[in-house]
Amino acid sequence: MTAVPQATARPRTAAGPPGPAPRRRRWHRLAIPLGLVAALIATTLVTHALDRPDPDDRGYLSPVETGEHGGSRLADSLRQRGLTVRRETDARAALSTARTGPPATLFVPAADLLRSETLARLTRLPVGTRLVLVDPSVRVLLATGVPVDLTDRRWATKVVGPQTDGAPCPLDELGPVRQAAAQRQRYEPDAEVDADLCFSAGLARLPGAVETVLVGADDPFRNDRFGEQDNQAFATALLGVHARIVWLDLAGPEPPLPARSSPPPVADSPTTPEAGAETMPPDGNGQGGRPGTPPDGSADGPPRGSAGGPPPNPLWGAFPLWFWAILVQLALALLLAALWRARRLGPPAPEPLPVAVRSAETALGRARLYQRAGARGPAGRTLRSAALARLLPWLNLPADAPQDRVATAVAARTGGEPEQIEELLYGDDPATDEDLVTLARSLDTVTRAVVASPPERSQPVPSPRTDPTEGGPR
Amino acid sequence: MTWRAALLLAAGALTLPLWPSPFAGVLVMTGGVLLLVLVDRMRAVPPTALSVEREGDRTVRLGGTATVALRLGNGSGRTLRAQVRDAWVPSAGARPDVPPERIVTVPPGDTLVLPTRLTPTRRGDRPAVSLTIRSYGPMRLAFRQRSGRPATPPWTLRVLPRFDSRRHLPEKLARLRIIDGTQVTRGRGQGTEFDTLREYVVGDDIRSIDWRASARQADVLVRTWRPERDRRLVCVLDTGRTSAVRVGDEPRLDTSIDAALLLTALAARAGDRVDLLAADTAIRATVTGSGRPALLPRLVHALAPLQPALVETDFELIAGEILRRQRQRSLVVLFTALEAGALGEGLLPVLPRLAARHRVVIAAIHDPVLTTMTSTTPARAADAYAAAAGWRALAERDRVRAALTRHGVTVVDAPAGALATRLADTYLRLKARAQL
Repeated sequence: MTAVPQATARPRTAAGPPGPAPRRRRWHRLAIPLGLVAALIATTLVTHALDRPDPDDRGYLSPVETGEHGGSRLADSLRQRGLTVRRETDARAALSTARTGPPATLFVPAADLLRSETLARLTRLPVGTRLVLVDPSVRVLLATGVPVDLTDRRWATKVVGPQTDGAPCPLDELGPVRQAAAQRQRYEPDAEVDADLCFSAGLARLPGAVETVLVGADDPFRNDRFGEQDNQAFATALLGVHARIVWLDLAGPEPPLPARSSPPPVADSPTTPEAGAETMPPDGNGQGGRPGTPPDGSADGPPRGSAGGPPPNPLWGAFPLWFWAILVQLALALLLAALWRARRLGPPAPEPLPVAVRSAETALGRARLYQRAGARGPAGRTLRSAALARLLPWLNLPADAPQDRVATAVAARTGGEPEQIEELLYGDDPATDEDLVTLARSLDTVTRAVVASPPERSQPVPSPRTDPTEGGPR
Repeated sequence: MTWRAALLLAAGALTLPLWPSPFAGVLVMTGGVLLLVLVDRMRAVPPTALSVEREGDRTVRLGGTATVALRLGNGSGRTLRAQVRDAWVPSAGARPDVPPERIVTVPPGDTLVLPTRLTPTRRGDRPAVSLTIRSYGPMRLAFRQRSGRPATPPWTLRVLPRFDSRRHLPEKLARLRIIDGTQVTRGRGQGTEFDTLREYVVGDDIRSIDWRASARQADVLVRTWRPERDRRLVCVLDTGRTSAVRVGDEPRLDTSIDAALLLTALAARAGDRVDLLAADTAIRATVTGSGRPALLPRLVHALAPLQPALVETDFELIAGEILRRQRQRSLVVLFTALEAGALGEGLLPVLPRLAARHRVVIAAIHDPVLTTMTSTTPARAADAYAAAAGWRALAERDRVRAALTRHGVTVVDAPAGALATRLADTYLRLKARAQL
């Protein structure tokens, strides 16, 4: 904003004789550092956004995807433990697989791709089933009816220990895990619900008929971070409570409910295992191709097309078009106002200023130096010699008068003990600041007393230098 | 463009809900406003068609108010609507009668007078810095403004020193007349130069009766005396670094100038010839007292633009200049500071040469802060240290003073307010004792 008026002002004044070089530099002075900072921030944000996988990316946490964001290493690891991993690419098929047979673990890495009706059915699985959701959104939580709130969310995942607020993790299978990258989204259960929190509230388990486990970070499951810290132990332990794992690997958003013409679910269920699911061979030698090769192209076509471009921002539709036009025009008006304010009515008038140093600056500075150095001895000696220089002419004594004579003469004027006066005028250097203040005050009092008392014999000679010198008393 | 253009665009934004296509409306209205701005700018009077000149006061005494007017002529065929900012340096205290925010109107071929009142806050030359004219179009949607068009007419207001010690002048002149013996009949005029013979009146000093002349006349005659006339006085102002420090509210140099002016006024009345020299590392100002009647105004004008320079004063140069100009014995009054470093290394080596031919007086301003530091009863440790530092500074001054005195130099050391009158007293006494 500031650079714009400068840039427009320059051509107008460039014709003037004063050199345009400082003007250009002034513009640079503002633009370069601000531009650098803006570029840094923009680069960081863009890189972070590109680097972070999204649940609707191709192959995101898929057991057959060997890329960075896939889950092939996790699937292999589970299989090595002798567990069965069943990959399902259709939600209905996954649900029916989980219902049949002994209790299973249903692993849903991208629950946001499911429709709300499907989500509601997730919690109506047989008793003993474990449901593992990775970083579910608020919509997922509401649809599944999990009584948990999302609290603060970190910008990047943090490696933490299993404790939450000092309390140990109540999940027994996670016992050997010491450190895992599990804290990104934190959870807070509703007040009346008895939920278990682990990993600084980055993991929440809700007991019930279906045991639901929410994990706030996808990092422990991803191929690229699977080997770090105890991520492997964390992920395999979490999913390995039952011998059978149903892995719901969705290629894109779940298609909407089929029209009335489509076959009912009962009729569909026997065909789905053959068409939509495949039992992974134990060596994990999956075809590695896209899991989303449409089993029935008619249902998969439209959603794939809509997912190709980003969905339009709902904010655009929230206001009428003229509202945005007004905003644009007001911004333009603001730009005009900025251009108007940017042109000043002549440059500021410079002027050399007079010196502002006080005449006693050196004396004051020396006083501060004395104080900082704690120079009580020199200060005391200066004060004493100055007091003597004032007293001696007033007492009609020569400059080299003996100490006791001076002390006696001063004591006679002020009425004190001569020993005390001698100690005051010729004594030791003051040891502390308090002594120095006392000394200065006593010298001041004595000098004033002597000067105030009437002269004894003759008019004192105030100073030997009076003769050729004019000037005021000090 | 002006705020009117921005307001027009903002007001137009409110009609956007009525447009069939709002974004097209934005384009149309923005384009329209920009077109209006362009047309308005074309119709504004170009700054090159204007003529400006100044008239008014050239000098003002510090504390007074001067008026400098700007004549703005519109040489184009269109009516000029313009904001005019006539910028002076801040210490000139410029207050334009027409504030720069107001838009003035000048019909074609006409001239407008814009007076500015200046109340300067400092002595010296106060220049006008820049003139800026912003010429608006008839709709005031846009303006033309170019730096340096029209060119700023140069003008410098010379601010003369205030000469506060003027008020001491009548008293000093009265004392001068007593010394002269022109006013008081009783008592002989002090001095060594024979003036006239006149008749004795009761009350005259009988020692001044000229018996030889009385014998030749029927009356008793007394001799009258008068001080020497046509003596020479040289005021030397040190404008080096020691004159820059502040004593009270103004630089030490200003106090020196004030005292020098009183001394010059007094000496000019006493019939002496006054020269002036101001120097630091170079000669800054010289005035020779040949044209006696206009001496004081000339002196004031020479002193007004003097500014302290932050350099060490070259006393070698000053002494050489004095010795070159003044062949006869003169009274040299040197306005400087009693500072051991500046005087001990600069002045003392050249002082014997100077004092051998001239009578030297050093006028120094002493410092009220030092007096306060040494005369207050200390209450805290900082006060005691300050008192010690103050006494030490005074002892240094005393050493410089003693060294100067050894060369037969008179030192006048007075607080800032009293320097002028003390110096005048010294001058009168020297004159009365015929020591000039």
